Amino acid sequence: MATKIELDGISMKFGDFYAVRNISLKVEEGEYITILGPSGCGKTTLIKVIAGIWRPTEGRVLVDGQDVTDVPIEDRDTGYVFQNIALFPNMDLMENVGYSPRVKDMPKDVTESVSTEYLELVKMLDRAGMFPGELSGGEQQKVAIARALASGSKMLMLDEPLSALDARVRVELRYDIRRLVKKLGITVLHVTHDQEEAMSVSDRIVLMRAGGIHESGSPLEMYREPKSIFAAYFIGETNLLECTVTDKSRTGKTTVRLRGGKSVKAARSELEEGDAAVISVRPERVYTATEGLKAKVLSVVFMGTYWRVRTVTETKDYVDYNISTDKVTPEIGSKVYLVFNKKATKVFKRPEKGLAEAIRLE
Amino acid sequence: MKDLIKSYGDTKAADGLSLTVKDGEYICILGPTGAGKTTCLRMICGLTKQDSGEITFDGKPMDKVPISERRTTMLSQVYSLFPPMTVYENVMFSPSIKDWPEEESKQLVKSMIKMVHMDQKVQQYPHELSGGQQQRTALARALASDSKVLLLDEPLRALDARLRLELRKELKSMAKEMGLTSIHVTHDQDEALEMADRIAIIRQGRIVQIGTPMEVFQNPATPFVANFVGRSNIFVGKVGTSDETGTEVILPDGTKVRSRHTDLSEGEDAVVAVKIGSTRIEHIPVPTEEVPDPLMPEGYFEAVIERILYEGATITVEMSSSAIELVTCKLPNRKFDDFSVGDRVMVSWAPDKATLFRIPECGIVEELRLD
Repeated sequence: MATKIELDGISMKFGDFYAVRNISLKVEEGEYITILGPSGCGKTTLIKVIAGIWRPTEGRVLVDGQDVTDVPIEDRDTGYVFQNIALFPNMDLMENVGYSPRVKDMPKDVTESVSTEYLELVKMLDRAGMFPGELSGGEQQKVAIARALASGSKMLMLDEPLSALDARVRVELRYDIRRLVKKLGITVLHVTHDQEEAMSVSDRIVLMRAGGIHESGSPLEMYREPKSIFAAYFIGETNLLECTVTDKSRTGKTTVRLRGGKSVKAARSELEEGDAAVISVRPERVYTATEGLKAKVLSVVFMGTYWRVRTVTETKDYVDYNISTDKVTPEIGSKVYLVFNKKATKVFKRPEKGLAEAIRLE
Repeated sequence: MKDLIKSYGDTKAADGLSLTVKDGEYICILGPTGAGKTTCLRMICGLTKQDSGEITFDGKPMDKVPISERRTTMLSQVYSLFPPMTVYENVMFSPSIKDWPEEESKQLVKSMIKMVHMDQKVQQYPHELSGGQQQRTALARALASDSKVLLLDEPLRALDARLRLELRKELKSMAKEMGLTSIHVTHDQDEALEMADRIAIIRQGRIVQIGTPMEVFQNPATPFVANFVGRSNIFVGKVGTSDETGTEVILPDGTKVRSRHTDLSEGEDAVVAVKIGSTRIEHIPVPTEEVPDPLMPEGYFEAVIERILYEGATITVEMSSSAIELVTCKLPNRKFDDFSVGDRVMVSWAPDKATLFRIPECGIVEELRLD
């Protein structure tokens, strides 16, 4: 696959403050990338630079190998969808979606057939004659996406496109968007703070923090093999326990001692005996057994497809685990013994500034 | 709340809304934008007066009781902190205008600030705080009053997704610790499932179902609820025969699926809803020379896998079939390596996991609208 977009050492400075700093990234043609991160991490700045709304203070943006750093957005072939739906209120849906072909002076019948095609794609053709004010938020955002695509652009920039919508609509629309752009073979950059949304739509997630790329990978890689505590914590849910490495087997399997002395076997790691560490284990990889880490059940919450059990362990760690909805749930206050699927644990070096700082969101 | 009606022109924000909330209960009113959630809260605290119907607290009608004496407090989705006041001054607002004894007020305010983990930030101003910190300050201010009823109007909406998850737990445990009766309005079904003692589903100014999170999820009262709380695969067909294991439903293409028992009669048009998390798939084996006639898995219809999305703890598999254009199933992530795009699978579910409904009067498309 050819590289569609390349960022070469992009920085964006406001006064003395770097909103993004020295970012390099290659996006393949047809790839769906989400730029994920907490508020203030620089993700919105980055997409505005890529789209050409802002000129970076340093670095270059290349599209199809051409340097477009100085090309303003109106002269680029890019579709852009904002968080706040921005349809023309005085135009019906047909006219809204036909906006780009019309300003390019396409003949009327071409404009109409393009509008029809894209309204059909987002399943809104039966309402072509309606005005934006007559639609719900989710429907308006579908039309906004159709309008962005009707420009014929092979690149789509989605700047928190679902944030303003109801949770249930967001879920439905994220699957719709993924199906649509894959069908059309469009290259997508999608900014979001919602890790569930990122997991559902992406080929690759670029996790940002404090103006830089913190880590990137496919949803599977980011969830199964996170390389940092922050990624393990931010993407999906996980239990983090402070510990010290007490033993390494010849094959690299790590044994750690939790606070209070309890020993737990964990996966392979690069750490050495005596290193301060943190282990991460996902709630679906924690089980109960007749012996193990002793814990007291704090709450049992119905989560739809499973029960979430929250416990506090003898090591004063909070550990959550899941049980299937057809199983009997433990009583609140009762004792359980927890074991971890050791292969599914991740062992990280304990950060010098502490665990709380390593996962700080704001 | 009994038979509340409130109209704005032609729009009925409350249309016969009735709801009983128990002392100390944490209730979530869950519904799409425009369902009448905020109007409901405003009527409870007295900011909006209903056209008809009655609101009582502890059995006493609130009709003639002014806002200031209802002992309710509202936390809205926009954190309306006073910008020129520090965290401390914001939280002190209610005690000071009510002229409470100074020492007691100070103690109360300090303990509230501590409870929301803002004790390191007491002298800071709202603009110096993050969204989450502003939200917690607003909560402390709402709590530092003599209110018995806490009204929460989408309190987490403006926050980042990850922070929302953290604050769900905190918010509920704080309300419970203070013994408040809480009514929390939200459009987020995951939030409601995780936080509520009971969920009231609201739509078009009416409560369509009330129950524990599990009741609402597993025994939805309408097709809308079935699809709104957790996603469902929805099928429209005709009721067939019933036996001890359930009822058969015949889809337009002749496919037969099964659901739990129903009081609908044979031949009636009906809607079947089955949660994507209860939908099961099994590979259809390809005949080989050694096994020319492999054992076929049991199920209702065949489908071809179009997409597999790895979403963390679960995977979502989207399939096409002749019975239904798009059928989705959600599986634990350990199943990820078992399936590939293009695989032919048999789709099934346990009949008691599928609910059967009469076709709604408004039509199924209108019924399932999410917003």
